Amino acid sequence: METGSRVLLLTLVVVALSGCSTVSGWFHHGTPKNASGSTESGGPNPVSAPDQENAPPRVVEPEVTRRQITVPRIKSSNFELGAYYGVLSIEDFGSQEVYGLSAAYHITEDFFFQGDVGRSRAGLTSYETLNGNLRLLTESERLFTFYDLSLGYNFLPGEAFLGRGTAMTSAFYILGGLGATDFAGDTMFTVNFGAGYCVVPSDWLALRIAVQDRVFQSSLLGTTKLTNNIQATFAVNVFF
Amino acid sequence: MNRQARQCALAGLMLLAILLSPTLCRAREYLQLFVTEPYLELHTGPGRGYPVFHAVPRAESIDVLFRRTDWFKVRTERGVEGWASQADMLKTAYADGTPFKFDLGDRAGFASHLWEFGVMPGQYGGASLISAYASVSINPHLAVEGSLGQFLGRYSNGVTGDIGFDHVVWPEARCSPLLLIGLGEVHIEPKATLVQPANRNEPTAYVGVGLRFYLSRRFFLRAQYAAHYIFTTRTSNEEVDEWKLGLAFFF
Repeated sequence: METGSRVLLLTLVVVALSGCSTVSGWFHHGTPKNASGSTESGGPNPVSAPDQENAPPRVVEPEVTRRQITVPRIKSSNFELGAYYGVLSIEDFGSQEVYGLSAAYHITEDFFFQGDVGRSRAGLTSYETLNGNLRLLTESERLFTFYDLSLGYNFLPGEAFLGRGTAMTSAFYILGGLGATDFAGDTMFTVNFGAGYCVVPSDWLALRIAVQDRVFQSSLLGTTKLTNNIQATFAVNVFF
Repeated sequence: MNRQARQCALAGLMLLAILLSPTLCRAREYLQLFVTEPYLELHTGPGRGYPVFHAVPRAESIDVLFRRTDWFKVRTERGVEGWASQADMLKTAYADGTPFKFDLGDRAGFASHLWEFGVMPGQYGGASLISAYASVSINPHLAVEGSLGQFLGRYSNGVTGDIGFDHVVWPEARCSPLLLIGLGEVHIEPKATLVQPANRNEPTAYVGVGLRFYLSRRFFLRAQYAAHYIFTTRTSNEEVDEWKLGLAFFF
């Protein structure tokens, strides 16, 4: 943006902010206070002044105190927190175990936010395997650490039956989001998408099986290319 | 004397029974509501597709165990547990007859609220940005906001942290412009293959404009542009354009 436009924008913000603490009442017009009471506005005026003078004095002043009733709060159970374990295929580096933590917030029965952190350790490339002791990465660079922020959508909700007496609610879901991956001495912007199946055996427990692809650009092996890193995981989550 | 002792013992036992009885000593654990419509339908799961398996007749009470999204898990007097939708629950009443109300967020809350949180991906000087913010409102127009972001680019990665003021021009409107101004700090990790420059922390300032659009319940969209100035120790300052679009909620 041009410097002139920036100065114009700055001036606009400064002018607006300097006055905005005084404008909180602009849209909150309360009913105007009428100094002469409600008689002019046509409201009821049940007891006129002479009636109050003629009224007999009360013999007993009732001392009634209303009992305060506290209504129990309704607990909400929209958050999920848990751990997952599975297999991650890091492109060019083989398949390794992956583990991590995940948290979800259910916005509606259809949509949910999910955040994941996870870690894996990359194996050897074919080049390294064939060349004996040659190594492309140090041991610390082989750590594959990532986080994702995703939006999920439940579809095909249903029930899974275990024998005659047990029914568990279930749903397939798709999710996609953004995040970052720390691998081979670099941090890459990462797009993820995937699908899964969720079973809820009780009100507080959810079991998830998911397949997720984590895509980022890597220039580790000479040329810049888009790498696909697919993982399959099993997660045990607790609702709270 | 004997009679007095017996009475004392009886009184003591009754007191003990009252103290040990959890139902009498403890306040009611769950909210009790009464069905005022001809019946209340209970579903097997918290979703519109799950079948109705039970109907609670009018005037019977239900205990509300907990809520998940728009669905309430309830237990009837006969011990049947099921899920009732929010729309159906709003037709029940408290013990004193007043209708049950539950605030899931509305336009009035959007116009005037205390807290706001959001996640906004975008671009920061050409690099991909992932950011989150939280704000606390001073009045419906003015809020103090703090945000954290991570940018990942071809030439550098880094983290930004900002704190500043938001001015909502028309808080009551479904779609309203925002004006932003504030200060921050940026941590830059340059990427280079031959000579590795040192990481650096620089103070920043920003000014920007945005737009917020109410979606539903407690959720709204927010888009914004901010011009960031990075005050470097070199001869000239840097100017960085930041674009963000994301989903936020208030309460």
